[in-house]
Formats: sequence, C-alpha cells, structure tokens
Amino acid sequence: MIEIENLTYRYPLTDAPALQDISLRVPRGQFCALVGPNEAGKSTLCYALSGYVPHFYRGELSGTIRVAEAEVAHTDLPHLVSKIGLVFQNPFNQISGARFTVREEVAFGLENLGLPRERILEQVDEALELTGLTPLGARSPYALSGGQQQRLALASIIAMQPQVLVLDEHEMTIVLVSHKLEWVATFAERVIALAGGRLVGDGEPLDVLTDPALVEAGVGQTRYSQAARQAGDQGKPLPVTLAQAVEFFDADRR
Amino acid sequence: MSSESISLYVARESGLHRLHPLTKLALAGLLLAGGLALPQAWMTYVFFAAVVLPIALWGRVAGALLRAIWPIALPFAISLLLVRGLLWPSGTPLVALGPLSLKEEGLQFAAVIVGRILVVTGSFVLLSLTTRPDALMIALAQRGLPGTITYIMLASLQIVPRFQAKARSILAAQQSRGLEIGGNILKRIRALVPLVIPLILGSIVDIEERAMALEARAFSLPGPKTSVLILADPPAQKAARWLLAGGMLGLIAARIAWWR
Amino acid sequence: MSERKGDFNTLTIVMIPVAIAINIAIGQLVVVLKLPVYLDSIGTVLTGALAGPWVGALTGLLSNLVWGYSGLNVIYTPFAPVAAIIGAMAGLFSETGWFKKWWKVVLAGLSTGFVAAAVSAPIATTRCNRPSCKGWSPTRSTRSPPSWWCGRSSWPCPSASWPGSPARKTCAANDPRRPSRPGTHPAQ
Repeated sequence: MIEIENLTYRYPLTDAPALQDISLRVPRGQFCALVGPNEAGKSTLCYALSGYVPHFYRGELSGTIRVAEAEVAHTDLPHLVSKIGLVFQNPFNQISGARFTVREEVAFGLENLGLPRERILEQVDEALELTGLTPLGARSPYALSGGQQQRLALASIIAMQPQVLVLDEHEMTIVLVSHKLEWVATFAERVIALAGGRLVGDGEPLDVLTDPALVEAGVGQTRYSQAARQAGDQGKPLPVTLAQAVEFFDADRR
Repeated sequence: MSSESISLYVARESGLHRLHPLTKLALAGLLLAGGLALPQAWMTYVFFAAVVLPIALWGRVAGALLRAIWPIALPFAISLLLVRGLLWPSGTPLVALGPLSLKEEGLQFAAVIVGRILVVTGSFVLLSLTTRPDALMIALAQRGLPGTITYIMLASLQIVPRFQAKARSILAAQQSRGLEIGGNILKRIRALVPLVIPLILGSIVDIEERAMALEARAFSLPGPKTSVLILADPPAQKAARWLLAGGMLGLIAARIAWWR
Repeated sequence: MSERKGDFNTLTIVMIPVAIAINIAIGQLVVVLKLPVYLDSIGTVLTGALAGPWVGALTGLLSNLVWGYSGLNVIYTPFAPVAAIIGAMAGLFSETGWFKKWWKVVLAGLSTGFVAAAVSAPIATTRCNRPSCKGWSPTRSTRSPPSWWCGRSSWPCPSASWPGSPARKTCAANDPRRPSRPGTHPAQ
C-alpha cells in the first residue's frame, strides 16, 4: 500500500535534510505506528506520504513515494485525497469554517469531490457513526468540545474513505465507539465491551471478540468468528479479522 | 444568536424563512430600491411602516429587526438632526438654542437621510435575520459565484467570534499582568501593542495548518461540486424573483426619470 | 511561502478570513480602549503586504461586506471599495519594496490615507461636514444625490487605517459606530 524508496527531503531555506534515505513498505490493512523523539521527522514523513511534501512545502525531494499505486510527488494534492487522508494535530484548525453543522462539515470534502448527493450522505452517516458523532450532527462544529472536535477532524477524513489513514498526533488516545466489530477487530489494540450498562469484557480484540459469554450478552461477534463457529470446533483460536479468517479456513482446507 | 457565528440569522417557522435565499435577496433589493426611490421624505417612513415592518411581522422577526436597527439609526438621527439643523448655512429658524437655531431646511434634509437609513438597514437586516448565511452562499454558488468567495464569507462569519474571544482573553491576561487600559490617549495607544501583536502572530501560525487541512478536503480540486443542502425553489418563486427584480429596476428607472 | 506570493492559492485564500477576523477583533478592541484611531484594516494591510495587491483588495472588499452582513455595522458595506484600495495599495507598496525602510512605511501609510480619503469622498459626499475634518473638503450640495446612503456627521473622512495616519485621527472622536451586541464584543 505504501512504498517509499530512498526518500531524502530538505525544506526550503534549510541546510540539513529533514528526511534522509528512507525506504519502507507498509502492506495493505496494517495498523502501523510511527514513533520517535521531537524533530525526528515524524510529521515530515506524514507530509511526504500525503503529498504536502513537496506540493505544499516545495523544497528538494529525491527518491520515490508510492501510495495506493499513486506516485505522490507527481500527483496533485486534490487527487491524493482518495488515496491517503491525514488527520492533523490541532483539531481546531481542521474545521473548514465553510459549513455550519457537524454533518455538513463532514460532507464538505465529499462535496468538493463532486460525488453524487446520496453517496455523500451515506459516507457521512457512516463516518459519524464510526466516530460516535451521530447525535451531534446538527450542532455547530464550533460548539463541540476539544475531544469532539478531534473526532470531527477524524470523521471528516474517514468520510472521504482514503485507502491509507495517517494520524499525526503525539499522544492521541483513540476510543472508537462502534458496533462494526470487523472494523474494531482490525484496528483496535484493546476492546472494551459493555452490555446492559455493565462492563462485560476488556482485553485484546482476539480474546474479547471470541468470548462466548459476550455473544450471549448481546455484544455479538464478528462475521468471521461466527462462520468459524458454525464450521464446528477445530481446537484452533477463532478468527476475528479477514486475514485471520483466511488463515483459519485455508488451514482447514489443507 | 449564539457566539458560534456572527450572523444575525434567527431560526423561526415562517413563510418568509421558507423562501429561497435568492427570492429573499430580490425582495431585499426591491425594498431597498423602493425606499430610496420615493420622492418625499414622509413617504419613506410610510414605506418602512407599511411595507418593511409587515414583511418582518410575516417573518416573525419584527422585534429583532427593530432591535438591530435601533442602535444604528438612533445615533445617526440625533447627530444628523442637531448638526444639520444647527449648521445649515441659511434657512428658516424654527427653534432658537442660545446663539444658534435649528433650521427647517436642515431638519428636513436630516429627515430624508434618517428615513433612508431606516430603509437601507431595514432591508439588509431583514435579509440576514431570515436567511441562513450558508444557504445564501450556496444559492449564489449555484448561480456561479466562485467557491473561493463563499468559503471566505462563511469562514469569516465563523472565525470572527473565535478572534473576538481571543482578543478578550489576551486583554484579560495583559490586564492581570498590570496593563492599564485607562489614562491618557498616549497611554491607551501604548496599551494596544501588547494586545495586537499576540493576536496577529498567533494567527499566522494557524494559517499554514488551516490551508493544509483544506487541501486534505479536496478544496482546490477544480470542476463541479455537489451541495448536500437542498434549497427548495418552486417555479412560482422563480417567477416571483423576476417580478421583484423587474420592480426594482422599474423603481430605479422611475427615480432617475423624476430626478432630472 | 515567498514563491507563492501575489497569487490566489489555498494558502492565500485561507489568509483572507483570518485577516477579516483580525480587522474586526482589533477594530472592536480599539473601541473598547476608547482610542481615537481607526484600526480596522490591519489584517487587510497584512494580506496585501504578504500576498500581493489582488489578495489585499479582495480582503478589504469582503471585510466590509462581512461587517455589514453580520449586522456588526451595516454602514461599512458601501465603503467596501475604499477598503479594497487600502489592501491593493499595501500590496503594491510591498511589491515595490516600500516596507523595507521605516520612513518609507510612514510615507506609504500617509499616501494610502490620502487616496482612501479621495475615494471615500464621493461615497460620503454630504456626510463629513464637521469643521474638524481637515485634509479634504466636503462637497456641499443642496441636492443630496449621490448621498442616497446617509449623512452621518462623524463619519471618518478618510477611512485609511494605518497606524499613525494623521488624516484619520482628526475626525474620529465621539464616534457612535459599531453597535455592540453581547457576545460579539471584546471585553465584557
């Protein structure tokens, strides 16, 4: 999904390169963390992935960056938004200001893409649901709390359904409220389950989402673990993600 | 209206509110032209009372309209009546005030101007009281106004309250550090610098991230854009708009004809 | 940023609403401090200087439209062309290097003040008749047109807003402008 080869980049009017000879690959579907001390170049790498380097900042770039089959350095910024979405550090600056409600704010990017209205509404509702903002859809973006604005910034990017999502935030804790368990299983490191107002599960996605007690409590299960259960007890751990399911049934066939 | 944006818009259930934004724009244009085209001062006042106010009543915003116009029109009215009345070079004195006197011609002139202020502010304020700014901008964008302009107008209406709040908090912070905002003019001008500088510098840093965030939303993508907000525009309103625009042009033409 | 100068792009477009907000916030701050200066174009001058005359002009124009449409001050709207010229002149002075020496900045400010005054005159024709308004002559006509707008006695004759523009200070006292509304006014 992401392929970087020998990337070196220097901001305009600076001597030292911000990124030096970086090569890396990130496969499709991976949840990958980028860590390092201040000024290590984390933000710059995020900008390089999403095209702000070199299109917005200019400067000198060598090497290649390919994201979802697009050559970033040779693709205009607006054409990159469907490939890669970047959520910035300051949520306040990400509110466009051009729309008066949360729902319309999330729709703004899709409106700019000129998508059909029905499809926009569908994608907006999905993004609001995923970020738990559905009840706040009619509010002004500026009437939200800081945390809610952070979720709004995320929703605005998710709604555009980029193939790669980059979150540039030092210490952001992500609490994703969702009942789309397949999503949760793919992206979350930890799952907290509630039923009837009580905490019924807390732990790694694989453990929590395959717990039979949770299925009974009404939390439900991923369609992968459900299929595996229906296939009968194999004495193997149940799958909760697509990748695990492929492995589960692949091994079964052999 | 809350401090989320600085628009005057007041959400009400009314026939006026339900009109297409461009119909309301045309109506405001007609009111403006109507009020200004009338040849006699008293007619302007009658026009305000008999046309502008009833329309505001229909839109259930008459009280809000008067409250919005009041602080603009009253200081004008008082200063104009005094200045024009007292300083009119030669005319019929009506009331003597010491060595000066209020002249009839001056007061008449002031009355004309005050009437016009009422009509001009009345028609503008009526439009903004009953029209969501984003609806008006989207309606104009659908008629070809560049997206850049609509973005700037709407973003301004929403960013201004943030800056007012920022200015307030900078003022409070500097005051708690011992900044005096009273005293003579020189002192007060000096007090301005530590207020203005942080406001400007802080905003320059934000601009870059705002621009990048807009790029992330395909802002600079050329080509047609969709609008999620649907503005009902039945054929009757389209016809009404032509009539209103025609009426406006007619009034302007009549005014020019009378004039010469 | 420098190679992006003088053109409309996302960066310069984003600057404009921020500049308008600066204009309004500082314009109101001056009223709170009861200062006899008009500082409602700082943002306009900044965008002009940073992004060129066209961006400056658009900032000035839309700034006055926002003053009016928001209900903060409807009276500003007809003066939009004056504000546009202030922004354009700031851009031109900046592009020709006038902002590099302090005395040139003062000269640029003064000349903008005079041009703005000259442009304001036909808009404000019958308005500024106070004896304290030096530097321009109010045209007094018995027939009111084109004063279809208004005749406020205390309208600032020249509407330039450069810090230190003398023309602007002469007739700015006792100004009843900017009706304050709760929640939109700095301080209190």
